[in-house]
Amino acid sequence: MSLAWILLLPFAGGLAAWIAGRWSDLWARWIALGTALLHLLLLLVTWGVFFTRVAPAPGGWLMASKQPWIPQLGISFHLAVDGISLLMLLLASFLTVLAVLTSWTSITRSVGFYHFNLLLILTALSGVFIAFDLFLFFAFWEISLLPLYFLIGIWGYENRVYATTKFFIITQGSGLLMLVAILGLVVVHWQSTGVLTFDYLDLVGTVMSDTKAFWLMLGFFIAFAVKLPVVPFHTWLPDAHTQAPTAGSVALAGLVLKIGAYGMLRFVVPMFPQAVADFTLTAMILAVVGILYGALLALGQTDLKRMVAYTSISHMGFVLLGIFAGNELALQGAVIIMLSHGFSAAALFIMVGDLQHRTHTRELGRFGGLWAVMPRMGGVGLFFAMASLGLPGLASFVGEFLVLLGAFQVNMPLTVLASVGLVAATVYSLWMMQKVYYGANTGDWQVDDTSGREMTVMASLIGATLWLGLYPQPVLTTSGHALAEMKKFAAEARATAARPEGTGSAASGAVAATSPVGGERP
Amino acid sequence: MSDAYLPILLIFGVSALNAVFMVALSHILNPRRPTPQKAMPYESGMIPLGDTRARFSVKFYLVAISFIVFDLEAVFLIPWAVEMRALGWSGFVAASIFVAVLTAGLVYEWKKGGLDWD
Amino acid sequence: MNPFSALTPIVLLGLTPLVLMLVISFHRSHRLAVVISLVGMALPLALLAGTATSAAPPLAPLLIIDGYALFYIGLLSTATMVVVVLSYGFLERVPGNREEFYLLLTLATFGCAVLTASNHFISFFLGLEILSVSLYGLVAYLRTTRTALESGIKYLILAAASAAFLLFGMALIYADLGTMDFTAMTSVLAAKTREPSVLLLGGFGMVIIGAGFKLAVVPFHMWAPDVYQGAPTPVTAYLTTVSKGAMVALLLRYGQYGGLLDYDSVASVLAVIAVLSMFLGNLLALLQDNLKRLLAYSSIAHLGYLLVAVIAASREGSHAVTFYLVAYFITSLGIFGIITALSDERKEADEISDYRGLFWRRPWVSGALSLMLFSLAGIPLTAGFVGKFYVLTAGVLSDLWALVILLVVSSVIGLYYYLRIIITMYLSAPEDPSSPLSATRRFSLPEGLVLAGLTVLLIWFGIYPAPLLSAIQAAVGSLA
Repeated sequence: MSLAWILLLPFAGGLAAWIAGRWSDLWARWIALGTALLHLLLLLVTWGVFFTRVAPAPGGWLMASKQPWIPQLGISFHLAVDGISLLMLLLASFLTVLAVLTSWTSITRSVGFYHFNLLLILTALSGVFIAFDLFLFFAFWEISLLPLYFLIGIWGYENRVYATTKFFIITQGSGLLMLVAILGLVVVHWQSTGVLTFDYLDLVGTVMSDTKAFWLMLGFFIAFAVKLPVVPFHTWLPDAHTQAPTAGSVALAGLVLKIGAYGMLRFVVPMFPQAVADFTLTAMILAVVGILYGALLALGQTDLKRMVAYTSISHMGFVLLGIFAGNELALQGAVIIMLSHGFSAAALFIMVGDLQHRTHTRELGRFGGLWAVMPRMGGVGLFFAMASLGLPGLASFVGEFLVLLGAFQVNMPLTVLASVGLVAATVYSLWMMQKVYYGANTGDWQVDDTSGREMTVMASLIGATLWLGLYPQPVLTTSGHALAEMKKFAAEARATAARPEGTGSAASGAVAATSPVGGERP
Repeated sequence: MSDAYLPILLIFGVSALNAVFMVALSHILNPRRPTPQKAMPYESGMIPLGDTRARFSVKFYLVAISFIVFDLEAVFLIPWAVEMRALGWSGFVAASIFVAVLTAGLVYEWKKGGLDWD
Repeated sequence: MNPFSALTPIVLLGLTPLVLMLVISFHRSHRLAVVISLVGMALPLALLAGTATSAAPPLAPLLIIDGYALFYIGLLSTATMVVVVLSYGFLERVPGNREEFYLLLTLATFGCAVLTASNHFISFFLGLEILSVSLYGLVAYLRTTRTALESGIKYLILAAASAAFLLFGMALIYADLGTMDFTAMTSVLAAKTREPSVLLLGGFGMVIIGAGFKLAVVPFHMWAPDVYQGAPTPVTAYLTTVSKGAMVALLLRYGQYGGLLDYDSVASVLAVIAVLSMFLGNLLALLQDNLKRLLAYSSIAHLGYLLVAVIAASREGSHAVTFYLVAYFITSLGIFGIITALSDERKEADEISDYRGLFWRRPWVSGALSLMLFSLAGIPLTAGFVGKFYVLTAGVLSDLWALVILLVVSSVIGLYYYLRIIITMYLSAPEDPSSPLSATRRFSLPEGLVLAGLTVLLIWFGIYPAPLLSAIQAAVGSLA
């Protein structure tokens, strides 16, 4: 079966919503919702199929389809889905449904175009998750910027032009850096084999000198680090989040940050094992700095949305830590955090959006005592504050626990420091609850509690968080299988690439050099 | 060999330097008391009348440009005419194309009124 | 095959202004002039389909009509047709004679066609002068306005000066190599094993100055902003696309044969020019509030990008240059077309502030304009992206890492001003009811069709560039 439906469905739905929006806002909303739901449903079916045949096509790709696209440059339209892609696709689709629902009443301007942008984000991100041609990957990566640029720039808050321009320039700059790295990789492959190709499966086994590998790895790493974001490259994130409309924040936190992590998992780790091994310490230090710095700055914010944005930086630090710790446990944990953070950050941003819609402020100082007027919202807030601080039984606990466990085997001092981040998370989460819901209602707020629609959104997120926290096994199976396959495939590809060049001993040396970073460690 | 010419070169150099030096010196040292009469352009004793930058009618320029075009036509045609027999029919065709293009230009100029004085 | 029949496209292009001139003499009609110029440009295009496959007969020594020349002639005359359509609406609201505009325009395209097919210094210079002289007239066409006159004079003086440099350079190269024929140069150069003489290098330098002026690359760019702003907008579109495109086509051919790119010293001079153009163009564009001026600086930067691929000089380099040019043609014609089509008698829509809130009034137009700007910025799904990607690939394949990195850095700078225009269109419109909205003119049908066509092409080549790439590979393949 061709995989193009994953891309075509949301795109077509987006166009339909745009066109329908010329006549009726309501139609646009329903079309967008229907499309996203259908997308989600089909993906769930696909996931079901995945479980019935866990040993799929060669290379471990659940499904793949490849069409020539620009044959002159060795570019093909190569799509494939494995476990990690599938999990990310599910997250993307799920959050898009919620994004449409949260904008039901808050967006009144140019509704059709708005939903087109939302679904275009889904299209582009789906493309990023299933592209197995580096050119295609890059194209989707860049396309995902455009709708976000418009979402923030048109429907954002007071300082939106600055925020959206900054977001676009920084992320596009990093994207171009990645393009140069991709081209470098392609050229290295072309020089060693004489074949010009952008195909992931061909390039993954490229054999190159350590220096080249290091620089190319660094190019990819920085590009992904900007998206993640890792601390020195994070400055676009608080601004973009603060100014974005709620659905934009959901898409940013829930999805766009994930493509950074996904890129590291899919490209950096399998392609440059040696360079990654050399870089592990630096990356883990960056990760820990991100965890602590994000948590610290979250404590210092007076703007509720900005605070949630900084907690994202902190959480994504754990993902980076997990990826570079490199062993099975930590990688699994990173995948779980990607999902759980998608849920909890989306929920917190939706909550902030709902609050702002009612009170027209995001100032922490002006809130207080809201539990009295909106107990349901307060309960939801408490739940996700707990989820954010890593309460056992909720999703992020599983992920953070796995990551810390894995990282502990690689570098104990850093892991200890990282777990300080958990303490900080407790502080800022409870502090947020304190400021917003507890205490006296000094602002004299008289606002409605959550509506049925809002409660549906929250309930689904609570359900997802609980499920992932209590029974993560299906997810772990799915991602674990894909991670193992990916590692095996990369090693095999490298071994085959190395063999024809040198003697037998050289080939075995290459295989030895490529043995995965921490995979074989106990 | 070139050494033999060195004295000559030296003489040239010295005389040139000498000339420049003397002119420059007199320019620097001479007293300067300009009067309107002294500053006036010298036109063989006549007192100059009016501005030297007289305004011509733009029509003169048109005529001048047309003249240049057709004058150059002649410049191009003469070499062909001299070698006409050697160049043969292909030369004739080429020259005819050239003349035809210019004729088209002439027709345009005529119709546009470029040849009328008023 | 009769060698003269290969010349038919060029002959037809040369006949067009003649016919136009005679027709104007007897019957002045704006519409008729437009129709004649369109037919004159379309006829060679129709013929190209027939001749493109035939082998290139050497029309020694001046012209060579190979697939490469035909491809470029097709590109340039198509672009001219777009300019003609755009000019119609523009000239309708301008006092004075309109028909001569098309006369000059078609003549300029004839000059460009000669440039792309020239295989000799003489035809190079002839083509260049036909182009330049027509452009003097075109730039200053609105001769009653101060700005047009100013830009006309500026262009005239600088173009004349650069032509002098070019001639001197040709003379120096001739003095060294003893030939003005590009093909013959190859064999003379091949026989030389020693270092290039000072004469040759001096000649190359002068030729680069002459060509650099036409391309408006730093440091020969000073005329560009004023001329872009002062010239009628369709002429600006023409300057950006056809005139530069022809020059690039010639440079590529000359680079291939004349040894221009074989020497490290020349390549490093070009590299310096490319880097300066990219950075100065992009940085100065940041400061502009006038859209035409901004695009002048943006064009300087884009030519800088293009030079990177020219320096790459490999097979991929020539392909990349050609593809980039096609994408740049589509994009620039589209943007200047929209500026032209939005302007009315009261005001030219060339200030960025004129576009404030355009999205809410004219969603389709601003959508198309956004796409064009994204293409200039090199965002995927647009032809501009594929072009930039190809240029980067060519650079990387030739190991020009420093240039590639600098290209990337400068295009990130460039993003800012493209985004600024785009975001302006999506801001809410000024709510002061006393100031009339600018950029409100309705498009005529031909304008709408042309602009829609350009937008479709932009997306088409952005998503599926393979057919265009094979066409380019076939065409440029005939060069080497």
